[in-house]
Amino acid sequence: MTDKQASNRAQKKLWFEFKKPISLPVTVALGVSMWVIFFGLWELSVPMGWVTELLVPGPTKVLSALYNLFVERNFLSDVGVSIYRIIVSFIAACAFAIPLGILMGAFRAVEAFFNPFVSAWRYLPAPSFIPILLMWFGTGDAPKLALLFIGVVWFMATIIMDHTKNVRTEFIETSQTLGGNRWQILRTVVIPAVMPDVVTTMRQMLAVSWTYLVIAEIVASTNGIGAMMMRAKRFIHTDEIIAGIIVIGILGLVFDYLFRALHRAMFPYIEEHGR
Amino acid sequence: MSNQNNAKLSVSNVEKIFHLKNSESIIAVTDTSFVVAENEFCVLLGPSGCGKSTVLRMIAGLEQPSAGLINLDGREIMGADRDRGMVFQSYTSFDWLTVQQNVEYGMKLNLVGRKERKERADEFINLVKLTKFKDAYPKQLSGGMKQRVAIARTLANEPSLLLMDEPFGALDAETRWNMQELMLSIMETTHTTVVMVTHDIEEALFLGDHIVFFSSHPGTVLEENYVEFKGGNRVTRKEDVLVLDGYADAERHIMRLMREQGTEHLD
Repeated sequence: MTDKQASNRAQKKLWFEFKKPISLPVTVALGVSMWVIFFGLWELSVPMGWVTELLVPGPTKVLSALYNLFVERNFLSDVGVSIYRIIVSFIAACAFAIPLGILMGAFRAVEAFFNPFVSAWRYLPAPSFIPILLMWFGTGDAPKLALLFIGVVWFMATIIMDHTKNVRTEFIETSQTLGGNRWQILRTVVIPAVMPDVVTTMRQMLAVSWTYLVIAEIVASTNGIGAMMMRAKRFIHTDEIIAGIIVIGILGLVFDYLFRALHRAMFPYIEEHGR
Repeated sequence: MSNQNNAKLSVSNVEKIFHLKNSESIIAVTDTSFVVAENEFCVLLGPSGCGKSTVLRMIAGLEQPSAGLINLDGREIMGADRDRGMVFQSYTSFDWLTVQQNVEYGMKLNLVGRKERKERADEFINLVKLTKFKDAYPKQLSGGMKQRVAIARTLANEPSLLLMDEPFGALDAETRWNMQELMLSIMETTHTTVVMVTHDIEEALFLGDHIVFFSSHPGTVLEENYVEFKGGNRVTRKEDVLVLDGYADAERHIMRLMREQGTEHLD
């Protein structure tokens, strides 16, 4: 076998072996390549005549629109409003759903009382409440906060209930045979055992929150990222619409990263942190 | 040794019926009586499905007997409490606490002061030879070490009775006999009364002062054995037990009982 054949074979092994790990540089290079291809095709699409620039402005055009938005159009205040809505509504949803979910998971009676109610709400699409929320709360922040709240809270409570049910019975029984009473077991076993899953659930639910935020701002808002995009639509500023999408994506990634960091900092004793 | 007068624990005519969802019921344990003496190492032995673990859980107070009486130190037991600490087969070290915090956990529940808690934890962590790992989290420990944490945590809480449900069942063979020998050396120091469930005959003969053999379907006491061939002593090294006169006979006898009672026949 020649050297070349041997190295070809090694190459093949490196790339296409079932479930075999690949090296970090290769992983990074592959991940970056996909983006390079994407942006390359996008940039080429107008000069090649695949699309009209009015509907699909190239990435450089979008970047300059983004710069314009922040520097000249005070887009930062729209971003700030959106983040404010997310944070306020999300804290309210967590304050309600986490204790409820843990209690439903820990005690069958609490589950029997709340779960049929909570589950029913889960199947009502939150956006269907937009008209009535607008009538109840007017046009300020309140209807948006309410939509984000009801869009997240029922799912979060149910998922946390399921995680709480999965707390190992032996943990609870161990505490019982060491003299733990009901409150002590809740505080020293159930809550610490389920906490890593709670933080992971929060991370996943925050992504859902972003979805509802954009819906709320597109349908009924004069400020916020979504509202900016709707304004841009009126003036056929497709570059600004796409810039808005990019900002939402980046913010989502940042929040996701912050939650992962929080998870690692809070639970150093866990072997693997959620993906 | 089996004298009713120095009974630490007495199980009298205990029965446990489990009611299934389809309104059928299973008699898991029936008419079960035995007595455990102070400082005794009592082993509940039997084929799988004979209800020995159910009996242990009833002693722990984690299950209620359907009939009969369980007395500890002359008082009827009511639910689970700190006087009957339990070590489970599955690892129960709380993974969010260090070894030290795990061992202090029971004392903290029972409002033992910080200083005494730390001293007693140090003592029991030393007893199970984990001093070097006292600041480690369970994820850094092997299976045997996790069981040592569970044992230290239970003993540091000073239970009247130590209950163990196949505590070494998940360990590899070498770790298992090391743990068995460690258990005997701990007993030497603490003089705790132990009730342990196992289906490992060698383990029962090596550790037990008193073996209660259960028959299956329904579970009840078939035979009690005070391992006379050990002459009332505890042998601290496992290989030394194997050569005692009477060991082989005892093992063969129990194996035959196991075969008669077992449900997992291959033919």
